[in-house]
Amino acid sequence: MAKEKKSKKVYKNGFNLLEKYPIEFSEKVGTVKYDGPIEAFDFSFPRKKIDHVIINLCPMEPWALPNSAVLKNGVRNILDKLDIVRTRYFPKSHCYVVISTQETKLIKESKQHEGHEEWLHVHTLDPIYPNDAPVLIVKKILGLDIAYGRNTVEIGVLVLDPQTVVGIFEHHIRKNEFSTRLIPISGTGLRENKILEVKPGTPVQKILDGNVREDIKYRVFVDGPLNGSEVKDLTQKIDWSTKNVVVLEERDYKTLFHFARVSELLFTTSLMGELRCCIYCNYCDDICPVDLEPALYWHCYIRGEKQKARLYALEKCIECGLCSFICPSKLELLQVIKECKS
Amino acid sequence: MKKTIKKIEPILNKTLNKTESFIQSRPKVNFLFGALFEAFDGLIRSSKDTAKTQPFIRNQMDAKQYMGGILVALFLGWVVPAIYFFGFLCVVPKLIVSFVVGVFIVDVIWVILAREERINEGGFVTCLFIPAFLPPQAPLWLIGVGAGVSILFRNITGGVGMNLLNPALFGRLILTISFPTMVVSGWQEPFIGFPTLQSLTYGVDAVTHATPLIAYKETGEVTSYISLLFGANTGSLGETCRVALIIAGIWLCKKRIANWRIPVAYLGSVFIFAALFSLIPGETMVPPMLQLLSGGLIFGAFFMATDPITTTYSQTGKWIFSIGCGLITVVIRNFTPIPEGVMYAILLMNLVGVPIQSIVLKLKYRV
Ligand code: SF4
Ligand code: SF4
Repeated sequence: MAKEKKSKKVYKNGFNLLEKYPIEFSEKVGTVKYDGPIEAFDFSFPRKKIDHVIINLCPMEPWALPNSAVLKNGVRNILDKLDIVRTRYFPKSHCYVVISTQETKLIKESKQHEGHEEWLHVHTLDPIYPNDAPVLIVKKILGLDIAYGRNTVEIGVLVLDPQTVVGIFEHHIRKNEFSTRLIPISGTGLRENKILEVKPGTPVQKILDGNVREDIKYRVFVDGPLNGSEVKDLTQKIDWSTKNVVVLEERDYKTLFHFARVSELLFTTSLMGELRCCIYCNYCDDICPVDLEPALYWHCYIRGEKQKARLYALEKCIECGLCSFICPSKLELLQVIKECKS
Repeated sequence: MKKTIKKIEPILNKTLNKTESFIQSRPKVNFLFGALFEAFDGLIRSSKDTAKTQPFIRNQMDAKQYMGGILVALFLGWVVPAIYFFGFLCVVPKLIVSFVVGVFIVDVIWVILAREERINEGGFVTCLFIPAFLPPQAPLWLIGVGAGVSILFRNITGGVGMNLLNPALFGRLILTISFPTMVVSGWQEPFIGFPTLQSLTYGVDAVTHATPLIAYKETGEVTSYISLLFGANTGSLGETCRVALIIAGIWLCKKRIANWRIPVAYLGSVFIFAALFSLIPGETMVPPMLQLLSGGLIFGAFFMATDPITTTYSQTGKWIFSIGCGLITVVIRNFTPIPEGVMYAILLMNLVGVPIQSIVLKLKYRV
């Protein structure tokens, strides 16, 4: 029964990527050596008064940094740092720690602390991508609305990841040197999925050295293959906002008996099908986290009526990419949406 | 198994690649066989396209699997039971004729002449429908005409993804208009009991005159619901074994290929409207249960009305669409001399699909 419920949710308003692409990182954290110029940590504190601080402890993408890597010493450690950072920089604000419903141990631990501190609130979210997108997390946790593309600071909300909290604490409060960031690397183009300690400023090439498979073609993406971007130039530098690096095998050749070898193709750049007309299957509007109907935009677009597409609540789209991901006709819906927006 | 695949893979791959480049380098050969090769190649090999824009990973479900799911459901839902009830020789030649005329003649010629689109597996779905809603004793040429007309109609109106009307139903409509007696006669007694080789091959050699709905209209006799459910009754080739159809249909809905809203709303509204109409004093109305279990309703609700292209895109529109289908079906069955209303209902609602869609959009987005 429980399982059935789970798989039902998988499709409706989001998608459980963790289930579909189970990624295991090796335990040991590697280090990337780089002697060139690096970027110093700097957090630009918002000018506006912050009422709510959301700490995102719920990675919804399998290629994101797992909590276990940051919270090695338990959640107490990070909560203490958070308390100090809060008192110094965001006094009177409330902190909301958001944890995925799957991590029961972490939830239990955090709830114990919640009782003692009136500024701390523990929330849980289903591990459905893209629940952790700023627009959705602000809506789900605080019930506030913010348009896509606006900074949450404008409504007095700050969304932080645990690494940034540690960074602010070490750099701005303790005045320690804080120069490395944990970057998870994963994908079918790699020998092994790893978590690496990287100094921001390091070129992507450095990270790949020794980790990628030499026998295949691959493509490199930062911040996830769904709505991240492709790294065309490998001298591009990792910075303090880089979340992860994904290297995918480039399957630009035909695969025999592909139907029996889905797992081989699944986590590659293959389209897994060919471009067709829209068949009105409703997959895209079922999966859309903000209840839009992406096929409408596509129809407007091919009729050359970009203006008309904006009538159908286009501005609500958070560009998560799920509609293109799920479309059986392999239509580039996200691309169409971006073009209609501009 | 894996080993043999590993062995033949390089050879097969090479041959296919060679053939591909051979065909593509010669315009004349490409003109004649390009589309055929592509269709065949597409069946056993994946496409070589890769994602060029975000998102860079895609789900494995593609249009082929989508259509394949429908084919499997149709096969288990009506072909297998029909072979049991009416015999192999009654069913399989019809399928062959339908496929050959529809897909291999009309569609291939169209693709060669029009040079616009590749051969589409949607044609198989359409052609698998044609024998299903004709009587078991329908002549083979009738099936051929039906399949040809359907595919031609589909291609003329723009190919898969662009039709306004369900092509299979349109073909059936043309047959009804052109050969009115053919499509409502030739009912055959189904075989009942433990299958023998004889029965599986030939079925029962007995012709009857009436389907349960016709019988009710003429004599007021209600056929037992159990026998209707399991298909021990006369009717079109593919619509009798309702249990199998329901199971296959639910499987389709679970796979999210058919939209569950449509069968639920269609069947539900037929039941409710039938019950309402039977409250009208002084008239004999077909009782709700008989409505549900007779004719092509189950088949239509799960397989024909759910055809995503000819319903409305928006989900609210789907409710309206199916309730409309239900109402029209009941009205036709109760108030007209036409014995079966499912085809007309779905076709009529297909026609109003576009206005429904735009009204729903107007209300939803206030534009
Ligand atoms: S998922 Fe693709 S094929 Fe299906 S309705 Fe949306 S745009 Fe059309
Ligand atoms: S990209 Fe936009 S339209 Fe597509 S699923 Fe995400 S939010 Fe919906």
